[in-house]
Amino acid sequence: MSKINPLFFALGIPVVVIVILVAIVAPRMGGGGKFADLTPFSVEKYRNDWSSLQGNSYRLDCQVEQQLAFVEGRGRILAVKPIEKDPTRPAGRIPVFVPAGSADSFEVGQRFKCKLRVTRDLLVVEALERF
Amino acid sequence: MRHALLGCFGWCAITVLGFAQAPPPGATVNTNGTAGDYKSSTAEGGVDRIFNVNSDSVDMENGTMQWKGTTMNLGNSRAVRARFERYLAAPTDNGDMKRYVALLDQIQLLLSAQSINQENYYRNQQEAFNLLFKAAEFDIDAGSSLTIASQVQKVWIMKQEFRQIEVSKAQLDTLRKVQEGIIINRADNIEAANDARSDGSSKSKPLGKASSGTTELGYKVKDVARTEAEILARNAEMTALGLKAKIEFQSQMVSFLMARRYRHSLITSSFYRVLFKGGSQNIVVGAKEVKEFFPISDFVPTLESFDMLSREAIKDTSKGMQTVDDLVKQGELYGAFERLQETFFLGEFEPVVMSYPQEKKREMLALWKDLRELQRLGDERDLGNVEGYVNKVRGRARDFPGAPILSKVTNAMNASNMSLLSAKGAALAGDTVKAEAALERAAKIWPQNPGVKDFATQVVSRQDTMAQMVPQFDRLFADAKWRDIYNNKVPFGLALAQDKERSAKLLKVIGRIGELDFKIQKASVLFTENNPYLAWDVIVDAYKSESDDLVLAKTRADISSRVGAYSGLIDSAEKLEKDGAEAAALTAWLAAQDLNPPSTICGAAVKRLAKSVAESAVIRATGAVPAPPPAPAADDEVPVPAKK
Repeated sequence: MSKINPLFFALGIPVVVIVILVAIVAPRMGGGGKFADLTPFSVEKYRNDWSSLQGNSYRLDCQVEQQLAFVEGRGRILAVKPIEKDPTRPAGRIPVFVPAGSADSFEVGQRFKCKLRVTRDLLVVEALERF
Repeated sequence: MRHALLGCFGWCAITVLGFAQAPPPGATVNTNGTAGDYKSSTAEGGVDRIFNVNSDSVDMENGTMQWKGTTMNLGNSRAVRARFERYLAAPTDNGDMKRYVALLDQIQLLLSAQSINQENYYRNQQEAFNLLFKAAEFDIDAGSSLTIASQVQKVWIMKQEFRQIEVSKAQLDTLRKVQEGIIINRADNIEAANDARSDGSSKSKPLGKASSGTTELGYKVKDVARTEAEILARNAEMTALGLKAKIEFQSQMVSFLMARRYRHSLITSSFYRVLFKGGSQNIVVGAKEVKEFFPISDFVPTLESFDMLSREAIKDTSKGMQTVDDLVKQGELYGAFERLQETFFLGEFEPVVMSYPQEKKREMLALWKDLRELQRLGDERDLGNVEGYVNKVRGRARDFPGAPILSKVTNAMNASNMSLLSAKGAALAGDTVKAEAALERAAKIWPQNPGVKDFATQVVSRQDTMAQMVPQFDRLFADAKWRDIYNNKVPFGLALAQDKERSAKLLKVIGRIGELDFKIQKASVLFTENNPYLAWDVIVDAYKSESDDLVLAKTRADISSRVGAYSGLIDSAEKLEKDGAEAAALTAWLAAQDLNPPSTICGAAVKRLAKSVAESAVIRATGAVPAPPPAPAADDEVPVPAKK
């Protein structure tokens, strides 16, 4: 019979599981992930003075609300809702442009992490990751 | 319409004047040859009505009265009215009416067949004669009894003369007989002398006078002839006297009957019957007139015919006054008034009529005056005031038939107004001739129609108005003052009716502002129902085309206080789109749509811009950078709308 104390297993296994989970989830919750190095996109700033943002790239966590337009060979306009850390202050919907090269499919309710580039006043999705 | 109107006035005239129609009172027998005569109606009518009191009626217009189927001419209508009005206004005759009537009855009794006989023949005559003077002392008698007394006295004097003539005639008769005796005697003497001469012719005798006394005889014969001539003259004088007295008496009797002094007619008749012999009882004067009351072939008028007419009239008058009293008691003053009028003209001088109480006559007089005024209003076609007077008359006499009058007046007023409308329509259509005719018709029916005056004023000032309104319209139209034009659409419509081009413009303006007002109303309702964002959508839509309208601006200002964020987003979106920042504009529209999901303008804008942005996304990526919109000030919640 093993001389390991059963208490060790009883406490150790959950701790290991918790550590593993923390290691996986924490980066996500903390804004990390694929575009963790980008600055979060500020809807308020964009609305107030979009010209100061143009040329910049941002990270946007959002949920697809509606596909507003689709032009074959050019891309589509999606209305997305930013996922805010403070749900009491929803930012409202914003339109983003997904160029035609993307192979992803978009359904209402899907969540994405996006890399946005402000081209003039247009928010162009350069890369995205579903989560 | 005209017939209806005339019918109305005709009715008014006949009805209202119907009561007014009163024959001249006391009208004595007409002396113009027609007055006082009796004009016969048809035989059938006369027979039907002869004893029908209800058939009596007075025609004020013609101054006639129907009584027992016979038309009595009472004189001209004005005098008739005046006479009746004077009766109503005059104080009641003083005196003891009962005593007066009793006196007249006593006179008749003294002369009646039941009282008079051989013994009291002269005494009764004298007593009746004396009573005539007592009766004449009453005012109500008006001296008629004296006239009878005078007539009777004249007959008595005539009888005295008659007796004197008789005496003279008897004397002449005696003289004639004496003269005849003398002649006979002389003739006998001459004959005897002639015979003696004839006998002596055979013997020779000395020559002498052949005959003597012939000359005297001739003179005596002449005397007899003169005496006989005088006797004949006396006879002729007696006949003439009798005939004259008879005709005068009968004339007086007929005069009293025609003057409606029935009791005096009866007394005259009674005296006649006593004073004249049986051979003089036939009617010479007035026979034709009396016959007309009795449309029977071969009818022979007698003194009794006169008496019957008089008694019938007295009875009808008495009944008439009883009816008047009864109607007054029942409060039916109008009916009482009509009956009094008829009774007055039938028996004006009857004591029962003359003694009618003053206060009741005053009441009738007040009603009479109101009816006359109502008649005047009808004559002048013052329809607006007729109703008031009808109600006034109804207040006095609840049985006054005012409803038909009011109905016809209303019809006439409607007819006038209809003609006026027709005139207006014709005027608007430019048909001046038709308009004038219709206006004339309206004024003829109801001269005081206020609408006629207004319309006439409008017509008169129309040319001036035209001269002012046309340039005013052009100026407002050029300045796009749609609301000002709309607010004066009626005057402009009238003034520009003949100007097709401007009328078309006016119609467009009216339609435009009408539609705008509908939107404003819709926005107001939505705002009231707590849908400010939808209300704002309506305002925004209207504002695109009518940004200068003051009413819209006021409504917009009222609503904007509750839709500051929403309106700011829309304004911002429109500004961004105008500046070429379609994606930013799309963002603003989406934010506005988040506030007002059912908004159609937001939905349409999002759809339109999304497609546009998607189509131009690649081009835009390489284009020039548009200027971003300035951030709205914190205290400026209501953005200034873009100019039209």
